[in-house]
Amino acid sequence: MADMSRREFVGLGAGAAVVPFMLESARMTAAAPTAQEIVDRIRRNVGVEWNQTTIDTFKAGDPSTGVTGIAISSLATIDVMRRAIQSGANMIITSGPTFYSRADTATPAGRRGAPPPSPDPVLTAKNEFITRNRLVIWRFSDHWYARTANPFAQGIVDALGWTKYRVGNDPRRLSVPSLTIEALASHVKATLGARGGLRVIGDPKARAQTIAVLPGTIPIQTTLTMLPEVDAIIAGEIREWESSEYARDLVHRRRRKALLLVGRSLSEDAGMNACAQWLTTIVSEAPVRWIAAGDPYWRPTA
Amino acid sequence: MTAGDVVDRIKGNIGVPWRDATYRDTYKSGGADTVVTGIATTMFNSFDVIERAVAAGLNMILPHETTFWNDRDDVPVVSADALYREKREYLTAYNVVIFRMHDHIHDRRPDFTYVGSARLLGLDPSRETPAGSHRFTIPETTLGALASDVRRRTGIRTLRVVGDPNARVSRIQLGVGYATPLANVADIDVIISGEQQELDGFLDAPEYVLDAAALGITKGWIMLGHNVSEEDGMLDMATWIQTLVPEVPVRFVKSGEPFWAPD
Repeated sequence: MADMSRREFVGLGAGAAVVPFMLESARMTAAAPTAQEIVDRIRRNVGVEWNQTTIDTFKAGDPSTGVTGIAISSLATIDVMRRAIQSGANMIITSGPTFYSRADTATPAGRRGAPPPSPDPVLTAKNEFITRNRLVIWRFSDHWYARTANPFAQGIVDALGWTKYRVGNDPRRLSVPSLTIEALASHVKATLGARGGLRVIGDPKARAQTIAVLPGTIPIQTTLTMLPEVDAIIAGEIREWESSEYARDLVHRRRRKALLLVGRSLSEDAGMNACAQWLTTIVSEAPVRWIAAGDPYWRPTA
Repeated sequence: MTAGDVVDRIKGNIGVPWRDATYRDTYKSGGADTVVTGIATTMFNSFDVIERAVAAGLNMILPHETTFWNDRDDVPVVSADALYREKREYLTAYNVVIFRMHDHIHDRRPDFTYVGSARLLGLDPSRETPAGSHRFTIPETTLGALASDVRRRTGIRTLRVVGDPNARVSRIQLGVGYATPLANVADIDVIISGEQQELDGFLDAPEYVLDAAALGITKGWIMLGHNVSEEDGMLDMATWIQTLVPEVPVRFVKSGEPFWAPD
């Protein structure tokens, strides 16, 4: 490699510091797309037919707002929104609900026939926070899950560093060099950033080679189909009278089986990182950043 | 002594009208005619529990939860599965009769699962106000110290907690199993319960409690796991059933927490 002239060196240094700032300013003043335009662009490019009955809708804010930056996360918590604002974003795309329910209503949901519930202090404060900061929140779950290959599974596999071990390019199926369940659990914990949410069923000393990666909430039917076929499942969450009991019985009788649960929210975290990476390929006018929501759970150590 | 005799005595003494429409509290293996050598109560009717009951000479099992990994113990859900057939064959080979005791355990007063859970956690019944509310006021402490105390008392390996460990708390709402109280229930600092769907429910507690903590609103959420949260009540159920059925031994067989976690 030829020696760099001092002038070229200075130019590179200055460019690294100044050029992105200028580009971002230019982008935002030139043609800031609205939140609705971002969503339209996602719908055109996601490669999945759009379902008319979907939870993938605006949850808060004005869709005609000009977007200064997009923050992508698995959960639009107040902490995530604060970090989004610090990064200059005013549009948040989340795979989880914003207002703590599938209905995602900004006021407490009432049960049918019952008097309207009294205002909830956390809901009220969250609404005020969103309004004060002029945020726009849009949920992206159904159609991101429906994409092939499953981006939530792909996100986990990338985080695990095991992309090369995919079976037939399907991130839901891995064939890895044999390792103990104990080592697998430690690797999952470290690479996904789990704290207290990770729970494991299986003999720590048993070995695993074939692994199914099943983010989200999985029903017993899925576990019945998959666990006999593979050595271990890495999943989001299950019902504890279903899949974890099946896994307990299977481990008891077959030994070389394991079920690792990371929690629903954490199981979608890495898939929203994948979403941010994808979105940068179709949105050039505003910066796009992934904000890790992380593991909501901790556990006492003493 | 037949299984039918045992079930009749339970129905006659449970203290609440029997729900004939229940799909839970029914026979899952064997039937009323099966002759009973001994009775086991348990939380989850795992293969391991069944083997230990059989080894102890107890061929009638009264589990609180499912045998075949779905709430209705629907056979078509599991019939294609090799482990289902193995479990079924084992039950038949050892003449095991299973009668689930779920709905009526929660209907009766007191509900054994709450009694057992409060005892396990060291929650003093005299501090339950009002009586039967499952609300307990404890001397003020921090969420972190309370969680450590719960861990020490229960021995749970995978206790899960959400909330600020430094938050000062004293008012506890106890739930059991999947009957986890809503995180925003009024005048309560901490929910302690078994299990709840994490997202997309009616009021998703983990996210709600994270936000409450971010806003400085006192709120804690401690999940024991479904098994541990109701298991000690099965000891109370065994004691009660022994009084109804003195002719055969009645034992509590522990299924235990199924999970562990890496350090």
